[in-house]
Formats: sequence, C-alpha cells, structure tokens
Amino acid sequence: MSEYLQTVFDKFELRVRKGYCYTEDGLWISMEEGRIRVGVSDYVQRTGGDVAFVELLKPGSTVERQAEFGTLETAKTTVSLLSPMSGTVEEANGRLGEKPELVNSDPYGEGWLVTLAPRNLENDVKTLMSADGYFELMLKKLETEHRKLESR
Amino acid sequence: MKAGKRKKVVVVPCSGIGKALGSVGREATYEVVENLRKGVTDTTCLALIVRGDEETLQLVKNNRCIAVDGCPLQCAAKNVELAGGDLAASFRVVDTLRENRKLKPKSVTFLDHDGQELANLLAEQVAQKVDELLKR
Amino acid sequence: MVDLPEKKVGIISCSGEGCVEGTISRVATRLVLERLKPEETVTICLPLFLAGGGEERAFAKYYPTITVDGCEKLCAKVGTERYSGKPAGSIVVTDMTKSPRCSRPPSPRKLNSESLALAEKVAERIAQEVDRVLEHWR
Repeated sequence: MSEYLQTVFDKFELRVRKGYCYTEDGLWISMEEGRIRVGVSDYVQRTGGDVAFVELLKPGSTVERQAEFGTLETAKTTVSLLSPMSGTVEEANGRLGEKPELVNSDPYGEGWLVTLAPRNLENDVKTLMSADGYFELMLKKLETEHRKLESR
Repeated sequence: MKAGKRKKVVVVPCSGIGKALGSVGREATYEVVENLRKGVTDTTCLALIVRGDEETLQLVKNNRCIAVDGCPLQCAAKNVELAGGDLAASFRVVDTLRENRKLKPKSVTFLDHDGQELANLLAEQVAQKVDELLKR
Repeated sequence: MVDLPEKKVGIISCSGEGCVEGTISRVATRLVLERLKPEETVTICLPLFLAGGGEERAFAKYYPTITVDGCEKLCAKVGTERYSGKPAGSIVVTDMTKSPRCSRPPSPRKLNSESLALAEKVAERIAQEVDRVLEHWR
C-alpha cells in the first residue's frame, strides 16, 4: 500500500504523505517522541516554484502558533511559513542553505524545515488536519483555482 | 586530445519551456554566442543531442561544452555527458538568481525586465568561463 | 485508455536554438498555453521528455499530444512517437511559412514583426488542433 494519497493535476503528481498532520496552509507535521518535525506539502512546493532561498528561525528561538518561523523564496514568489504550533525551534535543516532544491525534490523527506519542542501540544494538535482532510482540501483548491502550475 | 581540434566552445541551454529560468538560460546563451563571444562559441539544440543526431553529437564530442540549465533537474548538463560530450562547465540559472536576489523574473514567453537583466548577468559569467576554457 | 478526470492536451514544442522557426515554435506554444487555451493545455518539456522525465512521459502516455516542430528534423514528433505513441496532431512551422519565405530576423532569438505574426498564426493553428483533438476525444 502506498505511503501517499495522490492525485494528478496537469502533468504533475501531487502527493500527501499519510500519517502526518497538516495545516490549511500546507505545512506537514510528524510527531517524533515528544518533538515535531515540520515541512511543506507537495502542493506548496509545486505551486511556489523552484526554491532559491530558505530562511528559518535559529535553534533556541521561540515561536507562537501561526507566527512566521521562516520563508521560502522562489523565482516567482515568497512563501511565508506559519508555525503549526507554539514552541521552541530545536533544529533548522542546515542542508537547505546550500541545497534549497531539496524542498522541491523531497518535501516529505530531506526537505524538512525545522523540528520544534511544542509548548502546548494537546491544544495545538486539535487545530491540525489529517492527511485525508488535507488531501480533500488540496483537491478543492485545485478545482476552484484551476491554475496552471508551471506558469505561476 | 588532437592539436587544433577544439576551436570553439559549445553552449547548450536546456531551454525549458515551462519556467522563466529556462527562457533566461536560452537568452543568456544567445547573448554569449551572438554577441559577447561571437565567433568562438556555438550553440545547439539539446533535443538533437538527446535524440542522437550524428552531426550534433560530433559537435559536442569535438568541442568543449558549457551547459546552462534552468532548473535543478539539469537536463542539459546530464544529457551532454550522457551523449559523450565534453562537459567542461555547467551553470544553473538559479545560482545566478541566488546571487541577485532582487531580481524576480516572472514571464516565460518574452522575458520581462528582471529576466533580461538576469540573462545578461549570466551571459557575462558564461563568457568569462569561455575565456578560461579557450586559454587552456 | 485510462479513464481520465480532465480533458487536457499536451503540447510538445521544439525550441531549436539554431533557427528562427524554433523560436517561433516556442513562442506559439506559449501563446496557446497562456492566452488561447490555458485551461485545455499543458506543456511538455521536450528535453525532459526525451531524457526520460517521468511526469512528461506519463502524461504523454495517457493524454493526447500535439507536437510543434520548427524544422524538418522533427525532434518533437519523432521523440513523441518513440517514447509515447503517435501524436494526435503535428505542426511543422516551416510548412506554414508563405512563399517567398518570411524574411529572417538578424537572430533566431529576436522575432521581427513578420516572424511574430507567423508565431501568432502558428498559435492559432495549434489552438484549432486542440479543439479538433478534444472534440474527437469526447
């Protein structure tokens, strides 16, 4: 069985990793023994374009839920990254400085952004969507916005 | 390497049609070949290389090549090498973009101002590399 | 054929650097994508397709494609036939130039008014082919 829910739009396959939680903005969260790892979904990287710069809060920084913890800058646009939870940044993916394209090529794996030590896990997790829920939301966005992914 | 064999540098753009940076790479290539280093450079179609067109393969095997790629997939660099071409240097448009952060090329069909400026900057970089290669 | 959710046509264009017709092919394709048939078309990157790009080849396998070539080398058409199947439509820019041939601009990259007009004409032709293919698909 596939690890992903997937659909095809234009010529692009868009995948949502099962077992992760998601924000409406398209950030994924995986729980790892008391800490959480955060990245962007396939949909976000595809619609944003080729990532040229990744700016992230440094380890030790605190962040509130829905506050900006970083940005992805592409040739087309700048994507603001809003934190899914309140907490402290434990790690920022150091590889993205030299290889920002990892966000595009492996958004659910090597393109992860930060790990957080959550401060309010029990409440913040209630604001998140399941993979199925995010997948449905993504389909709705594709249907209503009907954008041409490569020309944005 | 035979003496006198390699008189030109062949600049091969990916010309990716789906992204602005593909158009930037193409434009930069023309700027080098038609203007900055006219007479000592040439270009060719990546599609002909990938298809194995004999005349094109001889061109890339008998001359040093510079690949200019619009995205990290690096179709030009990879396919010049796969075809047995002499890949002497490789440029990624996104790297020039990273050095010039204020530029945001958006248009694919006809380059906008930022796209043209980025192409010009990249063309200068490629031209310098051509000079280096020709000195060897 | 796989039952597909959306009716879209893939346009595979050459972008031959060596001749103005390659640039015309590219510009015409982009005009179709951006202006004439934005909802009905998708562009396939030819070098990526030829080199084995998964998404490009997967699309071309299940969706109809129209190839647009600048010259008689027919890179887009031959490549599509080799890796995907016969394209649903095929346009060659040199077949569409009037006699006498349109005057050549000083460089393949800069289209003069005449070659720009030809690009518009090619774009219209591609759009007609898209309509024909979609009609046949229904």
